[in-house]
Amino acid sequence: MGPAALFVVLAAAAWQLMAVLVDSVLVPGVGDVAGELVGIVVDGSFAQHLGITVLRVALGFALAFVVAVAAGIAMGRNEFVRRFGEPAVLLGLTIPGLVWALLCVIWFGVGLANPVIAVALSSAPALALTIYQGVRSVDPDLLEMAHVYRFSRTTRLRRLWLPALAPSLFAGARLGLSLGWKVIVLVEVFGMSSGVGYQLNNAFAEQNVAAVLAWTLLFAVVMAVLEYGVLQGLERRAGRWRKAVIV
Amino acid sequence: MSELATTTAIRLDGVGKTFVDARTGAPQTVLDGFSLTVDEGELVALVGASGTGKTTLLHIVAGLSTPDRGTVEIGRPRLGVVFQQPRLLDWLPVRQNVVLALEAAGLDPDAADTVLEAVGLTRYAGSYPSVLSGGQRQRVAVARAFAVEPDLVLLDEPFSALDELTARKLRLLLQELWMSRPRTGLLVTHNPLEAALLADRVLVLAGSPARVAAEHRIERERPRSAEDPYLFDLHTRIVAALA
Repeated sequence: MGPAALFVVLAAAAWQLMAVLVDSVLVPGVGDVAGELVGIVVDGSFAQHLGITVLRVALGFALAFVVAVAAGIAMGRNEFVRRFGEPAVLLGLTIPGLVWALLCVIWFGVGLANPVIAVALSSAPALALTIYQGVRSVDPDLLEMAHVYRFSRTTRLRRLWLPALAPSLFAGARLGLSLGWKVIVLVEVFGMSSGVGYQLNNAFAEQNVAAVLAWTLLFAVVMAVLEYGVLQGLERRAGRWRKAVIV
Repeated sequence: MSELATTTAIRLDGVGKTFVDARTGAPQTVLDGFSLTVDEGELVALVGASGTGKTTLLHIVAGLSTPDRGTVEIGRPRLGVVFQQPRLLDWLPVRQNVVLALEAAGLDPDAADTVLEAVGLTRYAGSYPSVLSGGQRQRVAVARAFAVEPDLVLLDEPFSALDELTARKLRLLLQELWMSRPRTGLLVTHNPLEAALLADRVLVLAGSPARVAAEHRIERERPRSAEDPYLFDLHTRIVAALA
């Protein structure tokens, strides 16, 4: 059994022990949680609401990514832009996701713009900062080399900037997505009538702790799949040259 | 920079460059009224101690730096540059590093195979640069510089980061490449023997701002040998001028 599986088994056992000791409907046993979990998967509500939430996060993150990449590169390459943008980024980092969620619900109502903009606003500052730091670390010697050999803009972007920024892009994506997931749940709790956050709010209103845990666990599983299955796979692919042995 | 009508490939006239010390804010003039001409097909070596403006001159010629004063006439030649460090894209295989330069120059990417063979790296064409030794990485940089069929080759202390044995091999390789097709070149080095071995003319720079302390024209066929008494004597005279 691998360390990760061992952790899951031990956590489940500890939870079950706690549920037996507390003996309250507010702390359901592993069996109750598993029952809820199977139920929301089988009746299709998990797929339906997760799909909606993922779409909102994906759109918001895509918007944040485009803005943050442009802002991060501009800040890294231009001193004026850096000094102009730095206060905005620092301000954005200090604003809690809850505030963005509340403001976007007030400003944009129940439409798609609300969750998309809330996710974008909460994840863009961290993403921009990570990319800015990545740009600052790109070897200026390589930029000189690209200049003397007259690489086209496209070649510079594809063959120099993107590979050089890959570690920052992945770190930023990881950070941005984690912030986005947190904010989307808040937005859906406060102002939406669909999505995982909405379902969590329903379960909370019914004092159904097993359902709250079931939705939370499934949500965490999806995030883990995204992290291990997608992001790490892409990262390994982008960084395979690092595995070459130095002689 | 304007086009030249004569056989002069590079002409610097009254060039000046002043840097500002980032720590103290004090200006430091490394070049002031410096003039230089390099003829077509001539390889000129600039030899001098650190801080004599050699690399600044090379950067001005490469278009990486702009002079504060004076004029620079080099047309718009296709450059092949070998820097002190190889400056390879570590995430691309060796061949691809050469191919990118070829594509940017509008040349056939398959020429990479020929030039990699010339520098003895055919078996590493598909390898990432990180598996190569320092000397092999610098060979890739030499291959890239010559693959683009450059009108002007710039060599910025190309072998100073290598051990002497590897540097010797690469100097010989460079001589062979020059014999196969003479090109206009500018070599910056602090190694007098390297300058004597490779160049057609050696300018010894001294002081700050830099001035030409001595100039030597070398009438010797390539390939040259470090054991050649004439070159050894020249090396001694360059060292004396540097001192």
